[in-house]
Amino acid sequence: MSLTRRGFLFVLGAGAGVTFSPVLWKLTDDVSIWTQNWSWIPRLQYGALAKKPGLSKAFGGGAPVQVLTVAGRPAEALGNPDHPLSQGGIPAVAAPEVQMLYKEARVKGPMKKVGDGKFEPIAWEDAEAMLAAKLKEAGAATAMITGDVNGTTAEVFSGLLKGLGSSDVYPMPCEQQTAAKGWQDVMGGRGTPGFDIENSDCILALGADLLESWGTPVRNAKAFGRTRPTGEKPGATWIACAPLKTRTVAVADIFVAVPPGGEATFALGLANMLIAAGASTGAADFDAFKSLAAGYTPAKVQDLIGVTPEALKKVAEALRAAKKPLVVPGSAISQGGSAVAFVAGMALNLLLGNVGKPGGVRALPELPTVVSGALSRDKLLDNDLVAWLSAVESGKKAAPKLLMVYEANPRYALPAAAKLGAALDKAGFVVSFSSFMDETAAKADLIMPNPLSLERYDDLQTPYGSGFASYTLGTPVTKPVANAKSSADVLLAAAQKVGVNLGFSSFEAVLEAKMAAVEGLSGFIAGETQPWQAIAQGSAPMGAAVADGLKKGKAWASIRTVEQNGIQTGAALLAKAGFKKPAADFPLLIAPLFQLNMGTPSMAMPEYNLPTLQESEAKGAAMYVGLNAATAKAVGVSQGDTVTVSSEAGSFKARVDIDESVMPGVVAAYLGFGHTAWDKFAKGRGDNVNKALAIAEEPGTGLSTWAAVAVKIAKG
Amino acid sequence: MFLGLLFGLGFGWFVFPQLLYSEVTQPIPFNHKVHVEDAGMSCEDCHRFRDDGSYAGFPTTEDCAQCHAVATGGETPGEKAIDKFVTEYVDTGKEVVWQTYQYQPDNVYFTHSAHQHLECAQCHPDLGKSETTPVLYRNKITGYSKDTMKMWQCERCHAENGVSNACHVCHK
Amino acid sequence: MAGNASHFKIRWGMAIDLDKCTGCGACVVSCQVENNNAPSMDGDDKLRTVNWLKVYRLENGKTFPDADVAYLPRPCMQCGNPSCVPVCPVVATDKNEEGGIVSQVYPRCIGCRYCMAACPYHSRVFNWFDPVWPKGMEKTLTPFTSTRPRGVVEKCHFCHHRWNMAKEKARKDGLDPMSLPEDAYIPACAEVCPTGALVFGDLNNHDHQVYKLAHSPYARRLLERLGGDPQVYYVSRREWVWKQLDNYLPGEDPAHGTKAKGGAHG
Repeated sequence: MSLTRRGFLFVLGAGAGVTFSPVLWKLTDDVSIWTQNWSWIPRLQYGALAKKPGLSKAFGGGAPVQVLTVAGRPAEALGNPDHPLSQGGIPAVAAPEVQMLYKEARVKGPMKKVGDGKFEPIAWEDAEAMLAAKLKEAGAATAMITGDVNGTTAEVFSGLLKGLGSSDVYPMPCEQQTAAKGWQDVMGGRGTPGFDIENSDCILALGADLLESWGTPVRNAKAFGRTRPTGEKPGATWIACAPLKTRTVAVADIFVAVPPGGEATFALGLANMLIAAGASTGAADFDAFKSLAAGYTPAKVQDLIGVTPEALKKVAEALRAAKKPLVVPGSAISQGGSAVAFVAGMALNLLLGNVGKPGGVRALPELPTVVSGALSRDKLLDNDLVAWLSAVESGKKAAPKLLMVYEANPRYALPAAAKLGAALDKAGFVVSFSSFMDETAAKADLIMPNPLSLERYDDLQTPYGSGFASYTLGTPVTKPVANAKSSADVLLAAAQKVGVNLGFSSFEAVLEAKMAAVEGLSGFIAGETQPWQAIAQGSAPMGAAVADGLKKGKAWASIRTVEQNGIQTGAALLAKAGFKKPAADFPLLIAPLFQLNMGTPSMAMPEYNLPTLQESEAKGAAMYVGLNAATAKAVGVSQGDTVTVSSEAGSFKARVDIDESVMPGVVAAYLGFGHTAWDKFAKGRGDNVNKALAIAEEPGTGLSTWAAVAVKIAKG
Repeated sequence: MFLGLLFGLGFGWFVFPQLLYSEVTQPIPFNHKVHVEDAGMSCEDCHRFRDDGSYAGFPTTEDCAQCHAVATGGETPGEKAIDKFVTEYVDTGKEVVWQTYQYQPDNVYFTHSAHQHLECAQCHPDLGKSETTPVLYRNKITGYSKDTMKMWQCERCHAENGVSNACHVCHK
Repeated sequence: MAGNASHFKIRWGMAIDLDKCTGCGACVVSCQVENNNAPSMDGDDKLRTVNWLKVYRLENGKTFPDADVAYLPRPCMQCGNPSCVPVCPVVATDKNEEGGIVSQVYPRCIGCRYCMAACPYHSRVFNWFDPVWPKGMEKTLTPFTSTRPRGVVEKCHFCHHRWNMAKEKARKDGLDPMSLPEDAYIPACAEVCPTGALVFGDLNNHDHQVYKLAHSPYARRLLERLGGDPQVYYVSRREWVWKQLDNYLPGEDPAHGTKAKGGAHG
């Protein structure tokens, strides 16, 4: 077809016509808008905003939160301003709690193992039938590991096991075990020691990473912040002793470098000075303690752990000058701590005369149990998982036919991972209640996923470290987004099937009973008055609607303490204290670090926490261990070298970071890396330090500890 | 050539706009007049500010279900609309995806609370007395509504009234 | 719109107590969640990460036992005289005369990254990749900050949406939205900080704590002598920390402070 003149003019005219119409302008404008639409990235969803109280159990001490919801959909976890354990603050591991609902590693529903590392989804009723059958079959040869000692769930577990004739219910290793051993068994104390940091004007962190992960870190940090009004004179002196400048030390007024395992020596050196200055206590064994302390002269302390007499004196003076000094002994990683070091620290508190006083050590009562046959928390803490697994591994004790694991990841988080892993291998049938595909779930025979803490009913009883007793209820903020079922409910139903009567058919009913029991105690709903204010005043508010307050996410708190009768200094045990310098085959001491942004024993580092990593801590596949230049030179390594750190128990790989804040002879290493399960965000980053944490049985207490592990370091 | 010009102008002014927009109807036909005049409701019963000062815009399914919780079983268009709402949204717990004539994308922040001194109908279609909901003309290229206010309109009014035109006043 | 910000009615600012920051990272995480940053495998790669708030570890460079450590959270400094704003070829960013927050409009940004080159604080970050949320996690997005694709720059805006929300609440309650109580508007990072190291408020309001802190003898600003007039102040009693906040000649004493003359930029 040829274009005629007429046709050409028509096209020309049409072109002119279109030009004088909005077509081109409109198209240009619309296309420019279109380029900004970005249809391939998610849109925002709108709706009414609200805040719902929730309880994150992302770490052992628990994090009370408020969850921001948009049209009922949870979007963000923030602190809970009224709650004394949060006061609006949140730890880094709980900050992405809402996002973790959709974590890639979530177990989407119940699964059974069909081959090595292979799972097949099954229906809940099949899984529950299988569990009941296994419980019947195993009977008294059933064991349970729980990562949560502060929840009433533990009562359901111990009650069920008792009904089956088993006493093998074990908590994951925790600070509280060391404290219970030291305070109750050695010193003859009653109750659980609590630390009234808020009211103290001089706090000595004896090994504990007080502001990062010890006990109730957000509460501790809030107390720290309050005593230090920005730009003004600090209202309290903070002293920290640690083998390196930890996060706590970074903001402390006085730092004393004490090697891992040297805390008791340091404390006894302080006792020596305090006693010389006239300090005393009415403890029956004070004379023995006095003569023991007399041996810890400044010169001897310097010889043993390298602390100079000047440094020792500075700390002793600060404690003496304070009106309400407080010593907080603890393990840097909140587990595996030495009871001797704990007792030495507590003996200082006796010398400082702060027991039962505001700003001092307060022995807290336990909340009553409600599930029939359940162990009290103190009794539960008596059960030493590491000792038991060691015995199973060596064949001294029979392996369980059925092992159930709740909110715990023992395949990853236990010391001497190789040895204890072998013990776990011996268990007949393993049921994991994990919400995530962690290392333990990945090797389990049956996975029955628990809802996340924002999806389930749960509770928090006085977390260790707190200076006051408290109770917090956790109500679900959302329905489970995975096909998960509350493990406590699953086990209550299973108990009925195997003929164990726990007195309850649902965990919600257990919690109702717990709330009723708490309501019967003397206490109040914290908010307008906070417990430390009540402690300072010596009187607490009366009569509040407890259940109502708890359901609104507030805390019940009590300032009651347990009467003491004849506390001792534990001199007989302390006489066995002795700092052992590492021998030539393993010449260094490892200083493991537990930082909440890097995850917890039960939770791998959330993907949102990756940007919190310092380049000196980890990057990509590499994780760093810290040594000072002199130490590095002595062992022949330098910045960036790939090294193997090994102990009697095992080894891990890392790269070297020269960190001058680490004391000589010490290698600092972060827990939380080296995951082999979970998801792409957690896997393949660094190595698992737990592998090299060798277990020692502490002389005098028999406690399993891994507080002072000797290691060697070699290139490659 | 003149024919061509006419054709071009005709296309540009009349045909093109029809091609450019798709017609979208509300998921449930809604009769404002019945609600206002017969049921005696006020605009603010549904289009209200929340306690935090944000604007609720459209009512939620829960709001509507306060009156329309059960199906009527009736045959009139109104009753059919109610029954459609009850069976498809109330019974299933879903939210109605009401279409916004003044749609703005995510990067725009608009607060009704700062614009309360203006009449609603200065920006929105005046539907208070209407028996039907108008058709929404959605731009096939941009996905915006034909009635989406453009940035220059916002800016001009702000400038004329001495209100800041800084980015974050209107963008997020 | 850049220029002297001192005549603004409100200048939002922050005072960060470096003697209180433990480097725990809660602020960093909350910032990302609040502002819809997607998690990324590159999250720990400081060249690729897109989070707005970083915590730096400072070391005094001495050997044990004199070595000291401090942590420095670095949001956007919201400079009174921002060097990032005048260089933008498409006016995708400005210094807001209401509140003095430096903005960024994502759809307008062409990704040229001049602003990143101009910012002396590395406060601005670039999306090298599209954000990808693990399946379902996009349901947890907040309605506060629009999502950003590959190819645009983004930055901290002091949770500007929280100011908007505070103003809406004030209007609802019949209060003056331009005269808010001190705690009505606080960014997410400052809200969740366990030690309370981050103090937020109006630098022009003499009743606000941040005003007092900014005038504290212990307050310094990051690279103050560049003249950017940052609205973020760092408070520390440690002289070695001050020294690291700016560049000093050998022998120069940071204790005497150096009030910026400033004002050289556009």
